[in-house]
Amino acid sequence: MSLLKLDNISYHYDKSKVMVLNNLNMEFDAGKIYTIVGKSGAGKTTLLSVLSSLAAPTDGRIFLDGEDITRSDKYKFRSRHVGVIFQNFNLLTHLTALENVVLSMDISGKKFNRPKKEIALELLKKVGLSEDETTRRVLKLSGGQQQRVAIARALSYDPSIILADEPTGNLDGETQDEIIGIFRMLADEGKCVIIVTHSPEVAAASDKTYRLEKTK
Amino acid sequence: MYIFKNAVKSITRNKLRNILIGIIVLIIAVSACVSLSIQQAAEVAKEDTLSNLSVTAQISFDRQKAMEEMRNNADEGSDGMPDRSKFDFDILQGSSLTLDNYMTYTKALGDGDSYYYSGAFSLDATGDLLPYGTEEEDDSATTIDDDFMGGRNSDEGGQPNGEQFGGRGGRRFQVNEGDFTVTGYSSYDAMLSMFGEDGSYSITDGAMFDEDSDALECIISNELAAYNGLSVGDTLKLSNPSCEDETYKLKIVGIYTNSESSSEENNRFRMNDPANNIYMNYTAFSKILTKSEKAANTTTDSNGDETSAVLTNNLAFTYTFASVENYESFADKVYDLGLSDDYTVSSNDLQAYENSLLPLEALSQTAMWFFFIVLGVGGIILVTLNIFNLRERKYEVGVLTAIGMKKAKVAMQFVTEIFIVTFIALIIGTSVGAAVSVPATNTLLANQIQSSQTSGDRIGENFGFKPDGNDMKGDMKGGPMGDRFMQSRAQNYVDTVSSATNLIVVLELICVGLFLTIAASLAALISIMRYEPLKILSNRS
Repeated sequence: MSLLKLDNISYHYDKSKVMVLNNLNMEFDAGKIYTIVGKSGAGKTTLLSVLSSLAAPTDGRIFLDGEDITRSDKYKFRSRHVGVIFQNFNLLTHLTALENVVLSMDISGKKFNRPKKEIALELLKKVGLSEDETTRRVLKLSGGQQQRVAIARALSYDPSIILADEPTGNLDGETQDEIIGIFRMLADEGKCVIIVTHSPEVAAASDKTYRLEKTK
Repeated sequence: MYIFKNAVKSITRNKLRNILIGIIVLIIAVSACVSLSIQQAAEVAKEDTLSNLSVTAQISFDRQKAMEEMRNNADEGSDGMPDRSKFDFDILQGSSLTLDNYMTYTKALGDGDSYYYSGAFSLDATGDLLPYGTEEEDDSATTIDDDFMGGRNSDEGGQPNGEQFGGRGGRRFQVNEGDFTVTGYSSYDAMLSMFGEDGSYSITDGAMFDEDSDALECIISNELAAYNGLSVGDTLKLSNPSCEDETYKLKIVGIYTNSESSSEENNRFRMNDPANNIYMNYTAFSKILTKSEKAANTTTDSNGDETSAVLTNNLAFTYTFASVENYESFADKVYDLGLSDDYTVSSNDLQAYENSLLPLEALSQTAMWFFFIVLGVGGIILVTLNIFNLRERKYEVGVLTAIGMKKAKVAMQFVTEIFIVTFIALIIGTSVGAAVSVPATNTLLANQIQSSQTSGDRIGENFGFKPDGNDMKGDMKGGPMGDRFMQSRAQNYVDTVSSATNLIVVLELICVGLFLTIAASLAALISIMRYEPLKILSNRS
């Protein structure tokens, strides 16, 4: 059974009524990296929004571990089951890297068997941040470092699915490789990693690629 | 807990904005504290004064009502003038209530209420005894009395020459001015205004007469005693001014002094001079009255009207009440006990009490208006500031909701921030307000009283009376008439408050804080609930 399954998912924006996603059927398994590619306007980011429940599908159903979660508590789903890495990172700039990660753990409401700060520090180190960088405000970090903080935040409450929107879009080649390496490590740990990307390198590194065509 | 931590972090991050909000709330808090304290001080002063107030009341004939009825009955004639024959002046005199009547009404008194009464009549000196202020061979009293109510003292011929007036019953009493005023008191309580803590009388020789004894014992003034060489144990022989053969012997048991000097006006009438006041208990007093009634001559004139020389008792009956409620209850019940509608129950104490609070109540009212204006304006500024604040932090709301924080929790964080800032400012504001409220209240109250007094002075000036100094009660240029006029207008205002900010004020300020928090948060709450994270983050992108 797939970890995440989309069953005839359609989506259109309220005002335009133009179908962005039309009867999509996809399945995602744990321990694999999936990439979603397609031209601009094909609905890649919209699909990611639907997958992260930031947007509710107009039609169709979403299953998590076989359970229909289409109409369930979207906040709970977002804060526990799925970790989202936004293209613009969407970190809270007034907080430090560590505070961003701890806050995300607080919001999840999950119980941790170790102090949150300790777990967060470990995660930040795991994605390649030094101890000094963890206590810096994120605005004072580089794009690559912010991306790592975003990844650590997405991993902080140990979700089964990682969604990433153009995670390497703003990064140089070397950093891009490091980030891909992190995703591979996560997949090897059993996470289902779904990446929206334009990058052929990232697509090449994935286990499966879905190509979205612009709906006519 | 993390919501609170986030809120604190957010406050420290936006120091300037929160200091600005804090200052606004501080101003509101200080103003609110002072305003509410003034209002509370007025309430406390009211209650304190009321609890210490000994309410006394009298029943008196309602002349105004009787006059109005008479005026209504006297239809205008063809010449446009009222029919004067319809005016019955006897009605305006009012029929005097008897002691029995007054005692009947005591049934309307409540728990802790009481009563006392006194009677007064005048008696003449006999033999060598002279009223204080009389010079040898001086007959000025006759001359003076000529222009006062038509009354006459015993003239040289010893024949009473008095004015006749009386009730509606046809029997008239012959009233003459005597040399002395003899007053009988029902109890020592009735004499408290004289011999009490605030009184000006004190016994300097002998003792006070027995409260219940029926022996004809009295106390006299030290002036009268010195003037006639009298001392404790001597006997006064006095006579009915209308019938010199009707005499009474009063034994002097005490001599009193009165530190209050009598007015020049009173001295013109010997019997009204405090030095010529003789005091005794009512039991003995009524014994004299009974004897006078038995001994009095009654004559009938050509119209068939009877005239009696019996001593006329000027009865003054006072009811005392444990509380204002008791007084109000009495004022209602007493009519059920047969008191005619022609009479009213009134209390000078209550009137004085209400008047004394006028400046404080006026100040309290002004303070409340000020409070509402400051609260309204401050509230609007706070709401506006928070709307701008939220617009600035829209992205933060988007991120928090995107990573799974419920909108209600985001809203709670914003409310917590406003709540913390508001209450810190409120605590500081309350402390400042509490420190300044008493002096501020007293200063404002002094201004209010000054304003009332200036108004009183202006009225006096309009009447041609000018104060010599700043003190309204001081001597007036306008002589005794000016003094009397201004004294009648003078009020003993509540002019200081000792404690203003109390628990009630603090509770009210907490309500103010909650109101400001809710008002300031409301816009934020509505906006947050309408925000969609995807939209916010997309716009940001």
